[in-house]
Amino acid sequence: MPIILCVDDEKIILESLKQHLRQAFGKTYRYEFAESAEEAMELIEEFNEAIRVIISDWLMPGKKGDEFLIEVHKHYPQIVKIMLTGQADDAAVERAKKQANLHRCLAKPWHETEFVEALTSGLESTSRL
Amino acid sequence: MEIQNSKNIILVVDDSRTYLVVLSQILKKQGYKVETASNGKQALKSVQSTLPDLILLDIQMPEMNGYEVCQKLKADDKTREIPIIFISGLNKIIDKLKAFSLGGVDYISKPFKKEDVLARVETHLKLHRLQQQLAAQNQELQKALEELRNTQEELIQAEKMAALGQLIAGVAHEINNPLSAINSSVMTINNFLTQTITQLPEFFRSLSEEKQQAFFALLQTSLAKETLLSTKEERELKRKLISQLKNIEDADIVADTLVDMGIYDNVEEFLSLLQAPDSEIILDFAYKLSNLQRSSKTIETASQRASKVVFALKKFARFDQSGQKVEANITDGIETVLTLFHNKLKHDIEVIKHYAPLPPILCYPDELNQVWTNLIQNALQAMDYKGTLTIKVSQQDKQAFISMTDSGKGIAEEIKEKIFEPFFTTKGAGEGSGLGLDIVRKIIEKHEGNIAVESQPGKTTFTVSIPIH
Repeated sequence: MPIILCVDDEKIILESLKQHLRQAFGKTYRYEFAESAEEAMELIEEFNEAIRVIISDWLMPGKKGDEFLIEVHKHYPQIVKIMLTGQADDAAVERAKKQANLHRCLAKPWHETEFVEALTSGLESTSRL
Repeated sequence: MEIQNSKNIILVVDDSRTYLVVLSQILKKQGYKVETASNGKQALKSVQSTLPDLILLDIQMPEMNGYEVCQKLKADDKTREIPIIFISGLNKIIDKLKAFSLGGVDYISKPFKKEDVLARVETHLKLHRLQQQLAAQNQELQKALEELRNTQEELIQAEKMAALGQLIAGVAHEINNPLSAINSSVMTINNFLTQTITQLPEFFRSLSEEKQQAFFALLQTSLAKETLLSTKEERELKRKLISQLKNIEDADIVADTLVDMGIYDNVEEFLSLLQAPDSEIILDFAYKLSNLQRSSKTIETASQRASKVVFALKKFARFDQSGQKVEANITDGIETVLTLFHNKLKHDIEVIKHYAPLPPILCYPDELNQVWTNLIQNALQAMDYKGTLTIKVSQQDKQAFISMTDSGKGIAEEIKEKIFEPFFTTKGAGEGSGLGLDIVRKIIEKHEGNIAVESQPGKTTFTVSIPIH
């Protein structure tokens, strides 16, 4: 089953993402969650091809979201990357856009419609590959 | 020589026609432009139309003597700076003293020698020129100094804004996260109210008595559970559940739902329910119903968190309009700042607090908050956001001591002296202006306190002392 991976250092956000994902995509996908970039890396190595989309927070202790997505992009360019930010950091978003082919950047708190659109369009682009 | 003097205008004032002619000739020969006046009134009039560079002024003249002319010239802003050389037959010391006290720059006695007059005129013109240059330079320097001061003010302001900016960024994160959680919980509840609730009666009718009981047992178990698991723990539980749910269809989805519902211990009692043909719909309803509780719990904790942050921010930014010291509790200020730093502290920083009770202290609370902000920020950066931050508050005699110790790499001996200097920074370009500790020291000085630093690798302590009046 294709996987959507969410990364945020706050559990409360991961749970929120799960609610939204379940609501929008039900059981079509499997949802995995990581509380840090390191943990996410382990999951990516484990599930690899199955992962279609990564939704990552930007402000996390240790590795920031843009760095993490850039690193992922080096090894897994096919994964669609979406970043979440609770605060605007234009330079980081710019970096992620250029170096990680960032699909969307969503501001917290996100709107349901833009969230679903970001994922739907992202998933469409992977299925076309 | 002639060319050099050609621009200088010299006014000669003397009631003796002979002297006027002789002096004019001597000066003209040297290339000076000469104006003449044979009495005080004429002299003052001449000065108004052509401003001379120097005045040779006789003292004894009818109607208005040289002293009076001098006084009038010195009283006028326009003519005050013109050097006046008295030239007179009065040769008593007292006359000379009077001449100098009225502002004359020199005194030539009659009869005079040509060379003497020329040398003095030349010297005083030169002196005056130099003086004017000096004054102009002085003014420029003053302007430059003022600009520097303004720039410094601006930099200090910029540093304040940068510190505030960093805080606000943290605060935005601290508020947007709970808001996101509230939003998704509201969505969940709304979906339940618009979609699920109408299906409930039909769903219950479809359940047998026995299944209803099993359903409520499942729901009860879920509602009774209130633990926050890490994602790792959840995956672990899911794996365990999947192996227990071997002969159930879509075991991983079921396991996922069960873990979300908090059902992972004694799952055996629900196995028959989960194996039933309509298990999917039963589990789905139980999940959605228990989700209501989780959502409301989420809203509760999220709004508590957001209001805690807003409260801290309000306290932090309590800009005191009066500019007067007010009584405030130092420890509260530190706690406020710690709340605002919450998202940077929660993971890899252990905060150890030793707070001795302190009486309220007359201070500028918002400025002290800026001190704590700076010191904590520096400590975190020194530790690369990993380590131990120890905050001690104590009292000795009439002094409050606040110390912040980080377990970072320490400050090298050779730069220890410099860290309080403005613009000194160890941070990369764009990370810090180097004004943080300078501002900290200024604020502490404003409180008649002291700040000291002790550092060795793994242990750097900044100690602030503030008198308790």
